[in-house]
Amino acid sequence: MEPAIRFENVGKRYVVRHQRPFLARELLRSVLQRPSHHNEFWALRDVSFTIGKGESVAILGTNGSGKSTTLALIAQTTPPTEGAVTVHGRLGPLLELGAGFHPDLTGYENVYLNASLLGLSRREVDGLLGRIVEYSGIGDFIDAPIQTYSTGMKARLGFAVVAHIDPDVLLLDEVLSVGDGQFAHKCEATIRQFQQAGKTLCFVSHSPSQVLALCQRAIWLYGGRVQQMGAAAEVCAAYQRFLDDGVLGDQA
Amino acid sequence: MQTFTDIVRYRFVLENLVAKNLKTLYRNMALGFFWSILNPLVMAIVLTAVQLRFFGARHDWPSMFLCALIPYNFFAYCLSGSAYSVTGNASLVTKVRFPRQILPVSVIVTNLVHFAIQSSLVVASLLWFPKIADPETGATVAWFGWQLLWLPVILVVNIGLVVGVGLLVAGANVVYRDVQYIVESVMTVMFWLCPLVYDGGAMLANGPRWQFWLYFANPLSGLLDSYRRVLFHGTAPDLGVLGLAALVTALLGAWGVRSFWKHEHRFADLL
Repeated sequence: MEPAIRFENVGKRYVVRHQRPFLARELLRSVLQRPSHHNEFWALRDVSFTIGKGESVAILGTNGSGKSTTLALIAQTTPPTEGAVTVHGRLGPLLELGAGFHPDLTGYENVYLNASLLGLSRREVDGLLGRIVEYSGIGDFIDAPIQTYSTGMKARLGFAVVAHIDPDVLLLDEVLSVGDGQFAHKCEATIRQFQQAGKTLCFVSHSPSQVLALCQRAIWLYGGRVQQMGAAAEVCAAYQRFLDDGVLGDQA
Repeated sequence: MQTFTDIVRYRFVLENLVAKNLKTLYRNMALGFFWSILNPLVMAIVLTAVQLRFFGARHDWPSMFLCALIPYNFFAYCLSGSAYSVTGNASLVTKVRFPRQILPVSVIVTNLVHFAIQSSLVVASLLWFPKIADPETGATVAWFGWQLLWLPVILVVNIGLVVGVGLLVAGANVVYRDVQYIVESVMTVMFWLCPLVYDGGAMLANGPRWQFWLYFANPLSGLLDSYRRVLFHGTAPDLGVLGLAALVTALLGAWGVRSFWKHEHRFADLL
């Protein structure tokens, strides 16, 4: 199987500062020879996996387990501290709620900005605009500033853009949990089309039913390490046991 | 070099960002671009009144002032805008991989539009308040002449300076968030340190040489003096002054590009 995403012993270390870094303070510190206060922590450590082209993989885990860091590394907005991340094909953006939208611009202008950032040319966006607006179901609001949109509307528009730029790798961070049932169905239908077209999906969720519906494989992260990786049903079941009983299930 | 080739590749992003900057600035203002002119206009009127009444300035003072004020504004807007350009677009930087230098460059392109609009004030004032004849030689100058061909040269140095320093402060402000405040303070100091309300170049011309060169080691001083010589005094710029400004600009530019690239990969982590 041709790999789409490969993590090799990936670690990501973050520096947590307790205050905003100010040049004036740092200079004063270096003059007074005081060490600066910061902690380091590893959001991810020794994580290795391969996601094949056309595969759909869910990433499960409690808050702070490294799910979003994993997606950010795949999206290549941040480099790994150690190890290597390789991604093949056109990346979708890291879809989160209202990501990359500017509140003062209209929906229409945001579509252009967003699509251009994802590497589309003006002609391509011109051609796709009608379909994007129709898909989002935003209607006349497309000419209103994004700040007038509800959370659901922003998610719709964001998903509509991604659905039409035809990415090879689709990254979803809990986007499907907003939007009404109708739109959620539409999203799921689109995701299925993606899957049938042989695209790769990487998907963070807290909902086991969604994971089971959309993914064959799942990766369960715990404390920045892979706790369990395998068939979606098995990993979901183990994760659910952990959530219910608080025991890190021995993967028998 | 990749700094600039990436910009060409992503020019549609640049267009959209510039459109975004212009629209978000003026969207809700019925007077639109008039605001762009209002600030320097008010500044010029007030300072001219003060200069004429209290400092015995000549009646061509507004022309002399505006020739330097408009480029100074361009520099100041570019710098403060660049400082915010990466931190203010955190939602884009943390979500999508794209060449980050587009952000400060989009601020600079946006301000080039303002610069062009504000330049109409310079032309208007040069027509209304032409330079008064030199009391010693009695010679009047026609500001409209061949020396205007120097303007593109000065403009190139000027853009080089704002790109270099813009990249520097854009990256630095991600690492240290008080850089944006430092920039504001520095620009206030620059208003008095550079030849804006006084003709620094002419006043230092007969003084000690070291003072002259120290003064013009500041590339903004050199640029403002060059603009003023060409537009107001109707002569070619002092080539030593302009050359020094270009040299310091090249050094600052190299520093800016290097420091931007040094920190660029960590931007998403620091935001």
